[in-house]
Amino acid sequence: MPNYPEGVLSWLTVAVLVVAALYGVVALVHVVRDTIVDDRLLLTAVALELLLLAQVVVGVVLGLHTTRDFEAPVFYAYLGTLPLVPPFVTFLALKDKTRWAMGVVAGSAVVIAVFLARLTQMWTLNG
Amino acid sequence: MADLTPLPPDPVAPQGRPPGGRGFGIVLVALYALFALAATGRASYQLISEYSKAPVAYLLSALAAVIYLVATVALARDDRTSLRVARAAITVELVGVLVVGLLSYLAPSQFPDKTVWSHFGSGYGYVPLVLPVLGLLWLRRSRRP
Repeated sequence: MPNYPEGVLSWLTVAVLVVAALYGVVALVHVVRDTIVDDRLLLTAVALELLLLAQVVVGVVLGLHTTRDFEAPVFYAYLGTLPLVPPFVTFLALKDKTRWAMGVVAGSAVVIAVFLARLTQMWTLNG
Repeated sequence: MADLTPLPPDPVAPQGRPPGGRGFGIVLVALYALFALAATGRASYQLISEYSKAPVAYLLSALAAVIYLVATVALARDDRTSLRVARAAITVELVGVLVVGLLSYLAPSQFPDKTVWSHFGSGYGYVPLVLPVLGLLWLRRSRRP
């Protein structure tokens, strides 16, 4: 059995957390200033999205090759759901140019963090 | 004969809320989408992998998922019919969370595993209990003349 570098997943998770936090802060600034979607927010969303997609690939590859006893279906479900979040809330914020929609974007950063925590929990619990 | 005279521009159309957007309604849509996702995920997992363990609870999970999905789409569409559908779905949701919440305390043997609604949604920070109340209040407020 080849030795897959499982550390990649934890580094990636840290990176996702950092960018998600940045995304949340940028959105929060918009909420406070009552401004609408700008390039900075969109670029942060794109960066977050790319990291989340990378996490799906790494997560599935490691999940298929690990000897860990983890709740695979739930793990993959969370993993696959995460990349849906930034496009969805960005779409909402583009369609509805109010503080409320921007608040949803800021809130989504928290949801992503919670999902990441659950993912990490599932991955490490029986490892 | 069809009357082909163009209609005069209606001074009061577009009806509804100011162009600023739909305010809190967008938060509701997002929250309902989140719960539709959570409930669908949980229900499909439960039904596929461990149906026999607690059929009643798991079928209720599936029902909850369907109701959240319907409410999400109806709230997002935001036209007259959709809002009526949303009101019906959210009313069922409120009854569901109250009944299942109560039953999960009174008949815990039927609910060995959690559903979104058991214990009034305590596993989800009681959001499932608050959400239908907010939804109905919102629909009431945004009712059009």
